Amino acid sequence: MAVDGELSPREAERVESHLAACWACRVRKQEIETTIGEFVRFQRQNFDLRIPASDGPRALLKAQLGQRVEAERASRLQWHRAVSWRFGGALVAAILALAMGGWLGLRYFQRHPSRPLDVSVPNPSLTPGATVLLSQRELCRETSANNKAVPVALQRRVFDEYGIRTAEPRAYEVDYLITPALGGADDIHNLWPQSSSATVWNAQVKDALEDHLRNLVCQGDLDLATAQREIATNWIEAYKKYFHTDRPVAGLRD
Amino acid sequence: MTDVPNESDALVVAAAAGQRHSSASAVEERVIALFDELRIPLLRYLAGFPLTLQDSEDVIQEVFLALFQYLRRGKSHQNVRGWLFRAAHNLALKKNLRSRREIQNAGPLIAVEELLADPSPSPEVQLAFNQTQQRLLSVVRALPEQNRWCLYLRAEGLRYREIAEVLDISLGSVSLYLERSLAHIARAAER
Repeated sequence: MAVDGELSPREAERVESHLAACWACRVRKQEIETTIGEFVRFQRQNFDLRIPASDGPRALLKAQLGQRVEAERASRLQWHRAVSWRFGGALVAAILALAMGGWLGLRYFQRHPSRPLDVSVPNPSLTPGATVLLSQRELCRETSANNKAVPVALQRRVFDEYGIRTAEPRAYEVDYLITPALGGADDIHNLWPQSSSATVWNAQVKDALEDHLRNLVCQGDLDLATAQREIATNWIEAYKKYFHTDRPVAGLRD
Repeated sequence: MTDVPNESDALVVAAAAGQRHSSASAVEERVIALFDELRIPLLRYLAGFPLTLQDSEDVIQEVFLALFQYLRRGKSHQNVRGWLFRAAHNLALKKNLRSRREIQNAGPLIAVEELLADPSPSPEVQLAFNQTQQRLLSVVRALPEQNRWCLYLRAEGLRYREIAEVLDISLGSVSLYLERSLAHIARAAER
């Protein structure tokens, strides 16, 4: 406890005066300090280097906290509405307005069936990206790193998260943000509905980027964590950066 | 293992100043700042549990969401770092129980600790992974749970009293477990 500074000042003073007179005790104290230092160094060296970057987990936490804050706001709003029940006239007017709005909205949607949104880049709060723990060597050892088919139930959850309920299912393809070929995880936070209607920044263009980044990583020209971070942050910007172009190269557009 | 001023201390100062009922967005910002500061120390501590890295990340997410709720309720937060380690410890124990049940159905998982024993780490790690460290690793892994947890918490800079609170044990036990752990490690280093 003395080595760790856990004694009271009086006790610490007594220990210090004893140490000043005891050579063997000083050696022992030194040994303990060396052992602690050795352990801390060992733990940092062997563990910290292998922890994935915090971007993904941080974005996930932010998204979840954002949802909680929204939920709090919504419940406060509900409370205010409950209070306003006392004002009957205002309430009736509000109900009438809501009913009218709802009816008009329904008519609008009947006339204008929802069209698929052109989703080229995922929503970072819903799809921050998620990775499995793999070293560069383990990743590149895998020769068949094709994307696995996403289970239908998981696809439904992805559509649900993105609020896509009425569009044609074929209008989207549920895709990995960080491809498994770059260590992407089979996780809802790594999946997003990529619009099939995108004609410029489409799935084939993203596939080309994924192949290129994997080659760079496996040749040792690019750090795996950097590749994962860049594709998760904005794959279109990553494409522009690594292909040195503002437009997809010929042959990848529909 | 020196104590440096950090975000968790800033939170304590804010509490002392009487800012008990912060707005949701202010609390959110603090929680994110604490996450940035303490995610890696918490992951290192959770390496003392037989959990996968993904499970450990899940535990940490749950811990910080719980912290958000805790602070939003205007509760006392005199030692937020100790609170986080304690919450992570309890959730890891629960998660471990669940994982054990799932493992029986889904086959073995790779625990975070296995990472330390990975025979093919990156070149930098491989270079540093000398014989002494191999011995240290096997000694640490063979330590009884309580001894190992005490050691990991101390390595993260928690004081004896904080460790006692996290593990819900006496101060004397913390001292005893740490002494035993250090003796084992010292013997491994001497060989």
